[in-house]
This record gives sequence, C-alpha cells and structure tokens, in this order.
Amino acid sequence: MANYLMRRALLEAVRVPAGARSVSELAKVGNREWVGYGYNGQPNYADRPDFPLPAVRFRPDTPDIKILREKEKGDWRKLTLEEKKALYRASFCQTFAEFQAPTGEWKAVVGWGLAIASISVWIYMGMKLFVYSPIPETFSEERQKAQLRRMLDLKVNPVDGLASKWDYENNRWK
Amino acid sequence: MLKSASGTLVNVLKRSLLPTTRVSAVIPARLSHGGPVESDEEFDSRYEAFFNRKDIDGWEIRKGMNDLCGMDLVPDPRIIKAALHACRRVNDYALAIRFIEACKDKCGNKVNEIYPYIIQEIKPTLTELGIETPEELGYDKPELALQNVYEI
Repeated sequence: MANYLMRRALLEAVRVPAGARSVSELAKVGNREWVGYGYNGQPNYADRPDFPLPAVRFRPDTPDIKILREKEKGDWRKLTLEEKKALYRASFCQTFAEFQAPTGEWKAVVGWGLAIASISVWIYMGMKLFVYSPIPETFSEERQKAQLRRMLDLKVNPVDGLASKWDYENNRWK
Repeated sequence: MLKSASGTLVNVLKRSLLPTTRVSAVIPARLSHGGPVESDEEFDSRYEAFFNRKDIDGWEIRKGMNDLCGMDLVPDPRIIKAALHACRRVNDYALAIRFIEACKDKCGNKVNEIYPYIIQEIKPTLTELGIETPEELGYDKPELALQNVYEI
C-alpha cells in the first residue's frame, strides 16, 4: 500500500501537462523570449564560454523589462549604467567573470580525500592490533639467517645464483 | 512508351552531364582536404559581410557569434565592429556586451596582449554606439553570486 502511494506521489510530481510532453523544454521556457538556436535546437539556457549566447533570455519579460526594451530601441548613450546592467541581467544569468570564477570546490575534494585516506590508515592499525595474529616466528632475524645458511649448504643455484656468489673456501661472500 | 521513356532518359543524362551554373554558384568554397584554402583576409571579410547584412536578425547574429566562439581564433576587430553594429540594428545591448566578453575570453592566456589591442581598435565604434566595455560595467570581476538552489 505504502509502495503504491509512493509511486502515485512520484508520478504526480513529475507530471508534465499533456501536449507539452514531447516538447518539455518548451514547457519550461514560460514567457521567456526564444532568441536563438540552442543545444539540440531546443530553447535552453546555460552559461558556457564555448557557446556564449544561449537560445533563450534568462529572465521572463516582466513589464519593467518591456519598458527597458522600448528604451533600448533609442540611443544607447542615453541609457544609464543601471539600465544597461539590468538589460544584461535580463538576457544572461552570469557574466563571464562570474561563471569562470573559482568555486573553491577543490578544497573540499582534497580535504575529504585526505580524511578518507587517514581513516583507512586507522582501520589498518585497528586490524593489526585486534584482528590479525602475530606474524610467524620464521620472520625473526636469526631464523632467516639460518635459512640462508641452509640454502648455502645446499648449494642453491651454483651457476649464476645464490651459491655462485658465496666463497666456500674462505666462508664469506665473494 | 519506349520512345517517351528514352526521351526522358536523355533529358536526365543531359541534365547530369551539363554543368548547371545556377547550382554551382551557391556551393561555397569547399574547406575539405586538397580544396582551396580560405585566407584570413577572406575569412574576416566573409564574417564582416555576414554581420553587415541589413536584414540580419537576432538568431543569425547569435549563430555567427557562437560559431566564431567555437573556432580556434580571436575575431578580428573588423568583425567585432560589424557585429556590434548588427547588435545595434536589432536593438540588443546585452548581446553586444556578451560578445565583447566572449572575445576577451577567446584571447586565452594572451589576454593582456590581444584584448587591449581589440579595445583600442573598436573604441570609436563603442563611443559611437554608446556601448561600455565590460570593464566599465564592472563585469571584469564577479559581481553577483548565484543563489544556492537548495536555499530558494
């Protein structure tokens, strides 16, 4: 029952009015002016340096903007700086300097990366202390020396290997 | 039947063999391998003429500018001037500012050498049309922050 209700709620949330389903980009534009050719020929907006003029204006045509656009048809030297900025912001969301500004996201990425790496070191130490049994006693130094001695006694690889490097007459390495 | 069919065939053959001047006149200079290469001068003139068209509309201006921004070049001041005049004709101030910004972005790491030259060249046009440079509008530095969509 809960599953069914959940599905109904989801379907309701993503519902697009009939007739606008195949052109959902168009449904999202509202009364923003469609002024050019966009990605895939759709009326969409994105601030990108390699495609700086998106297909729709960023803001819808409010009465204020319409008055400004009428004024824009006259001499641009008579527009004030504020009006020019308002016109820019009506067409575009962010300036180049804004959308290319560093976000500082790398700090979070580096920080989390180091934190997770340090957690893995702690996990290793915990395993070493509480989970793993101690390493075999054959790893001790005298045991390893004894193994080497025995390999020399057995003359392991006498042509160009271990035993070939041992001087048996003087009992030392060549 | 046969006669009429062969007559049609001859017509088709004739049409395919004889060069039709009307068609070849609209085929642009091909840019493929081994074809004639367009010089920088011709390229600038082509785009200048494109932006200088009297009946150009906003769609075509945007198309031309977006194309220029997709190429490996910085538009010549001649082209920029023509484009600014085109913006004036379609009464779109924001478009002019955006294009100057885009041209500045195209300068890449040579921005300190190329951008002052561009501004110096297009300055008369800017004053004539009443267009500010992005610097004069304060758009060389970030002005506004975007509102976080999760806080709207």
